[in-house]
Amino acid sequence: MTSLRELQTRMLEALLNGPSGDAAELIDAAAPIALSRLQVYRNNVLANFADALRLTYPAIWRLVGEDYFRQTARNFQRRQPSQSGDLVHAGRCFADHLDELHAESKYRYFADVARLEWLIQDALLAAEHAPLDLEKMAGVAASAYDTLRFELHPSLRLFESRYPALRIWEVNVGSDEEPESVNLDAGGERLAIMRHRLQLRFHRLSAGEHRLLDEIRRGATFMEAVDAAARSDAEFDAAAALQRFVSIEAIVDCR
Amino acid sequence: MRAEASALQGSMPARAGIGLRAQHHLHVLAAAAPAAWFEAHTENYCADGGSHVECLMKVRERHPLSLHGVGLSLGSTDPLDAGHLATVRRVVARFEPGLVSEHLSWISVDGRFANDLLPLPHTEEALRHVSRRIAQTQDALGRQILIENVSSYLEYRESSMREWEFLAGVAAESGCGILLDLNNIHVSAHNHGFSCEDYLRGIPRHLVQEFHLAGHSRIQSAGRDILIDTHGAPVCDAVWRLYRDALRRFGPRPTLIEWDTDIPAFHVLQTEAQKADALSTPEHDVAA
Repeated sequence: MTSLRELQTRMLEALLNGPSGDAAELIDAAAPIALSRLQVYRNNVLANFADALRLTYPAIWRLVGEDYFRQTARNFQRRQPSQSGDLVHAGRCFADHLDELHAESKYRYFADVARLEWLIQDALLAAEHAPLDLEKMAGVAASAYDTLRFELHPSLRLFESRYPALRIWEVNVGSDEEPESVNLDAGGERLAIMRHRLQLRFHRLSAGEHRLLDEIRRGATFMEAVDAAARSDAEFDAAAALQRFVSIEAIVDCR
Repeated sequence: MRAEASALQGSMPARAGIGLRAQHHLHVLAAAAPAAWFEAHTENYCADGGSHVECLMKVRERHPLSLHGVGLSLGSTDPLDAGHLATVRRVVARFEPGLVSEHLSWISVDGRFANDLLPLPHTEEALRHVSRRIAQTQDALGRQILIENVSSYLEYRESSMREWEFLAGVAAESGCGILLDLNNIHVSAHNHGFSCEDYLRGIPRHLVQEFHLAGHSRIQSAGRDILIDTHGAPVCDAVWRLYRDALRRFGPRPTLIEWDTDIPAFHVLQTEAQKADALSTPEHDVAA
């Protein structure tokens, strides 16, 4: 008598990692048939995972091509199978996987592009938020400025890279034409990725602006965030940054 | 609670509806009368915001809606995923669907997910186990759910009853309703050599609250011809015949045209829906 638990454990091990011999014994058919039926499920399990990964990582898919993408997805699935009934989460650590895979190769930039794509998906699925209430802002007493904290738009994600990841993403997504070449030595990018209403937006940031938003995101008061930003970037202009982030609706509330 | 749920379910017309897919979002929002009702995959609308969620909010304002989940892994021997169940509960509260359904299957064990609808062995142990989990899910959602029969490509040695006995037993024990997927019955009947008629006869009339219709494909596997549930083709003649048989036995029910891969233009789905409606509507109603 095989318990349900044991049956499921043996089946899943065969479907994710193979070989299938141990699971084939559970199946009411001669061994060659049992193995071929298990293979149907194995193909489905991989295809579902790879298809979900492709939805999250269209630029990586375009960069490496279908065959290599599926092969990479298969290896990634073996190391880090989905941990959720919702496959949208399956690619959470894909960038780390690519980073490890290509740490010493000319494809090191894949990990940067994958990190960007994960944050894009995150931004696209985040909650909506109304713009900052300017009257509320105007009503903040000058004495309260020191302890003022801002809230960022729920979709805002901060990104910093070594390679020009956004440029690579742009030439690979949204057009079926042969992508133009990108100079990998062009340097990295600092971005705020946001969804504005339903539109994806990218805002290039200076070092100071990036630091400011990062500090706010971590719960710092505005004054603390300004101090940190000024330390990291001699040219940082706090008033200009605040005006910019209110106008692009990166900052949506204050308390 | 039960009365509230059945009032909502009463809002689902016993006509053909269409599975809502992202490719058709804009078309569906622009069309005057795209379908009698829609069914959406619960997991595709779990996000806090974004274009899919906004689209479904608009669709829900205009049309009856059913939510059909694939992620709860109801047959798994892991603890029920409280996080995912809470998400489903939130999605159900947000869209107020007339029907909520899931599958008679398992997709995970030891925290690792196959994300494919795997069959359960048809044993007393599995029957009791999955029934308990369905009951827990219904308690958490505060409403009855429907459970769908899945296609399968293998049978387990441990099984001690037929699939339809298992399905009817689960419904009786958990208090869930049944979503009968006629394509899945056809696919599994072909693959395992049982009779579709026996299947329909084995399901008590009052339990069936929805039908699914879809297409499948045929492959060669170890020298045998097997059917694969791709949901990527028109409904075949044999499944239309089975739908007629099901209508005779169970009467008209909300009937979904389901298409998940190689998704065609929306009008192709509408044509399939019209075909289903023509079969489920008595002739004098059509003439009037």
